[in-house]
Amino acid sequence: MKRLLAIALNTFKEAVRDRVLYSILFFAVGMMVISLALQDITIGDQAKIVRSVAQGAIDFFGSLIAMFLGVSLVWKELERRTAYTVLSKPIPRWMFILGKYLGLMLTLVVEVGIMLAVYCLLMTIQQKFPPPVVFVSMAMLLLELMLLTAWATLFSTYSAPTTASFFTLAIFAIGHLADDIWLYGNKAQSEVIRELSHQLYWMLPNLEVFNLRPVAVHELPIPWTQVWSGALYGLGYTAAVLCCAMAVFHNRDLK
Amino acid sequence: MTYAIETHNLAKTYRSGFFLRPVVGLRSLSIHVEQGQIFGFIGPNGAGKTTTIKILMGLQSATGGTATIFGRDHTEAEARRRVGFLPERPYFYEHLTAREMLRFFGQLFDVPKDVRNRKAEELLERVDLKRWGDVPLRKYSKGMLQRVGLCQALIHDPDLLVLDEPMSGLDPVGRALVCDLILEERKKGRTVFFSSHILPDVQALSDEIAIVIKGELKGIGPLDKLVRHSSNYSDIVFSGDIPGEIPNAKPVREEPQGHVVRVAPEHVKDVVTFLYEKGAVVVQISPERVTLEDVFLSELEKSAAVDQKRMGILA
Repeated sequence: MKRLLAIALNTFKEAVRDRVLYSILFFAVGMMVISLALQDITIGDQAKIVRSVAQGAIDFFGSLIAMFLGVSLVWKELERRTAYTVLSKPIPRWMFILGKYLGLMLTLVVEVGIMLAVYCLLMTIQQKFPPPVVFVSMAMLLLELMLLTAWATLFSTYSAPTTASFFTLAIFAIGHLADDIWLYGNKAQSEVIRELSHQLYWMLPNLEVFNLRPVAVHELPIPWTQVWSGALYGLGYTAAVLCCAMAVFHNRDLK
Repeated sequence: MTYAIETHNLAKTYRSGFFLRPVVGLRSLSIHVEQGQIFGFIGPNGAGKTTTIKILMGLQSATGGTATIFGRDHTEAEARRRVGFLPERPYFYEHLTAREMLRFFGQLFDVPKDVRNRKAEELLERVDLKRWGDVPLRKYSKGMLQRVGLCQALIHDPDLLVLDEPMSGLDPVGRALVCDLILEERKKGRTVFFSSHILPDVQALSDEIAIVIKGELKGIGPLDKLVRHSSNYSDIVFSGDIPGEIPNAKPVREEPQGHVVRVAPEHVKDVVTFLYEKGAVVVQISPERVTLEDVFLSELEKSAAVDQKRMGILA
């Protein structure tokens, strides 16, 4: 357990000492601050638009950080050969992958936490302190990032960051279109396409189950059924993808 | 008795290229390293030294044979608990300082906090890097990284040190430091298994040596045993041209003073007489002892001759 924690904390330390991360965080905070100006140049429910843009910025930059760090998580270790020294210690391969993953998740929790704190500050100044639904929405965002990062980690165990980025981006896009795949299948004339669409729907992740942003922006009551089912789905799916990543890495020869 | 390292018919075949052509990296390597020994592992580039070490350290899987470390199967992560490893051209986390790195690696061996902090300071002092302890590793030179790499290999007081090319990239002072360290560790009863290209160092340090060429073990044992089949010789330097071959002498090189031929001790008198009779002037006669380098080069020549023969048969 202590060894797992050591790997996780080292990964976290590496991430927070990376200047690129600060640039992304800077842009995210900048975006949220700029969203305040939208109040003066939009018509309709101005407060909602500000909340929507600011929360959208957290979603977008959170996903960007997850993909940016996730796709090079293992690959960088192999390219720089830092994994050689770690794996020559009494560290099983699964522990290495899990430790790296947990370190990355810790980084994401801190990053999203910082963005959320900025959001709360801005909202308190301009509107009011955000209701609990916003925090639940952020927790759901973290579940989505957890799953996305697991996929990025899996791709990173056997492909270069460019390829892994492409795959992860595809998962991100498909994940948000999963419901459309199901609907497309229902409307298809061909039985084969219908079956294929439904199979794809069950195999690929559905990231929309974690999307509570509309509820949070409109400050509606918390949909607890969606929250609990989403949490179970996210945890189960993440565990399965991580197991695949561990299995792939277990059999990999380090050149 | 449990050996520190024991391999039996260890083999590794890589798959290379689009058609996954098999490439032999290691062929039936059987060695055993006794506890408390310094074991030198030599071979030219691509001989299979690093492959063997990577297999032992769990970084690559063997395609045949078995290997144990202190009696435990090398594939178990726990088999490496008593091992300190320095990889060839070590790369460490550049964002860490040397102190942070040593503490991190100490944690991976479950070394208690106070012990690893004390040990880190001792080791940095030992390799003369104490004042650099809080500088990020990205600012370190190659030699400094090699020294801090040795520290991480020793952070948990291992019973076995596995060092892949530990002298590579070091200046003479650094080399001397590594040699001293290896000898000190042996004095403490630890086993050292190291690969190197610097044959005089291997000869000076090792209790036992293994020569690997093209993935095959070509010789193993103490230096005395390895040189048993190669007798001592004398190099004779002479000036003047001798047409044709000189009986019982093998030309080895040209020097500013003249031609150099290698002669077995019992033929020195005959060769000198022959040269005198042909009008050559003998400039120098140097009796030489067979070195590890001679044995190594002779094995390389034999291997090349076998290859040529094989190619001839195929043609």
